[in-house]
Amino acid sequence: MKTDDHESFHRMIDEGLAGALSAERERSLRRHLDTCSPCQQYLSASNRVVAGLGGFSFEVDPTLNARVVESLRLRAQQIRAAQPRRRRWVLVSLAAFVLTMGGSFVDRQFGNLIAPVLDVQRAQVQQVLLALWIVPSLCVLLLFPLLPLLSKAGTHRKEGTR
Amino acid sequence: MESETQQIALGLRQGDVVVLEALVEQYQSRLVRYLIYLLGSRDGVDDLVQETWLRVLERGGSYDGRLRFEPWLFRVARNIALDAMRKRPMFSLDSYEDDGVRSSPASHEPSPYTLAARTEDAERLAHSLETLEPAYREVLVLRFQEDLSLQEISVVVGAPVSTVASRIYRGLATLRPQFEEKQHED
Repeated sequence: MKTDDHESFHRMIDEGLAGALSAERERSLRRHLDTCSPCQQYLSASNRVVAGLGGFSFEVDPTLNARVVESLRLRAQQIRAAQPRRRRWVLVSLAAFVLTMGGSFVDRQFGNLIAPVLDVQRAQVQQVLLALWIVPSLCVLLLFPLLPLLSKAGTHRKEGTR
Repeated sequence: MESETQQIALGLRQGDVVVLEALVEQYQSRLVRYLIYLLGSRDGVDDLVQETWLRVLERGGSYDGRLRFEPWLFRVARNIALDAMRKRPMFSLDSYEDDGVRSSPASHEPSPYTLAARTEDAERLAHSLETLEPAYREVLVLRFQEDLSLQEISVVVGAPVSTVASRIYRGLATLRPQFEEKQHED
């Protein structure tokens, strides 16, 4: 038999071990192996490699599982604790947005009505609404989402100085 | 099997620590073995294992339960190990030699394979494994120890199936002479 033929069957043995050999080619390989000693030796050596790989037993530190589980519990608690805080931030930001829009709406729709009732000018009503309503709620709306980042940065700085 | 993986996926989505504890119990030794094969060393493996499980807790929602859990877990561990390797350039998965063999092992201490060999054949393989490129060791352990299919290994290592198959063939070709010589001697 030519060397090329052996090589193609060696390749089929490798494919079989890798799980990439079709049923038809596997049958052809089996027929060949029945009569070919060099290919039988190749298969035997390959099988010993695979068996040898199963002959290692890596010891695991007996405390590792406990340490992992402990850190998982701690992290899960942190994640759970962070969830309501995140929800609160979302709600406050939403409320600030509604307030800002509400202030602008009141100013536009009712500014002209309020001025004669209070006996002041339209511009003065606008200034009061801006100063006491719209600007504060706008500030909350813009700055509140930054609080988590600022608090995280503060925590990192504190840990860094320790 | 699907219902089991779906249960795992549900538990991970909910961040259920009880489910995670069961997974740690079930997969810990396999995870340690995979990382030792990948790194070629025991150093830092425990830290990587711990980091892997924390990542599983934090990103468990991305496991959908359609595939087996093992490939997903090994993929997470691999990403964490690669990050660690980038910080320690002496280890690299990308620098392959043509024959898949590194010229010198990373350390002069006994390799983890020598220490873990429990059979005569394993002892014969230990030195070759030490000098084999991590990418080849990795596919060998995934195929022959973890019993993953070529497609599953492809998911873990992020390479095409043909590349995975080629690495398995080359890995086997590097280790096989240990036993071919023995047969000639016999």
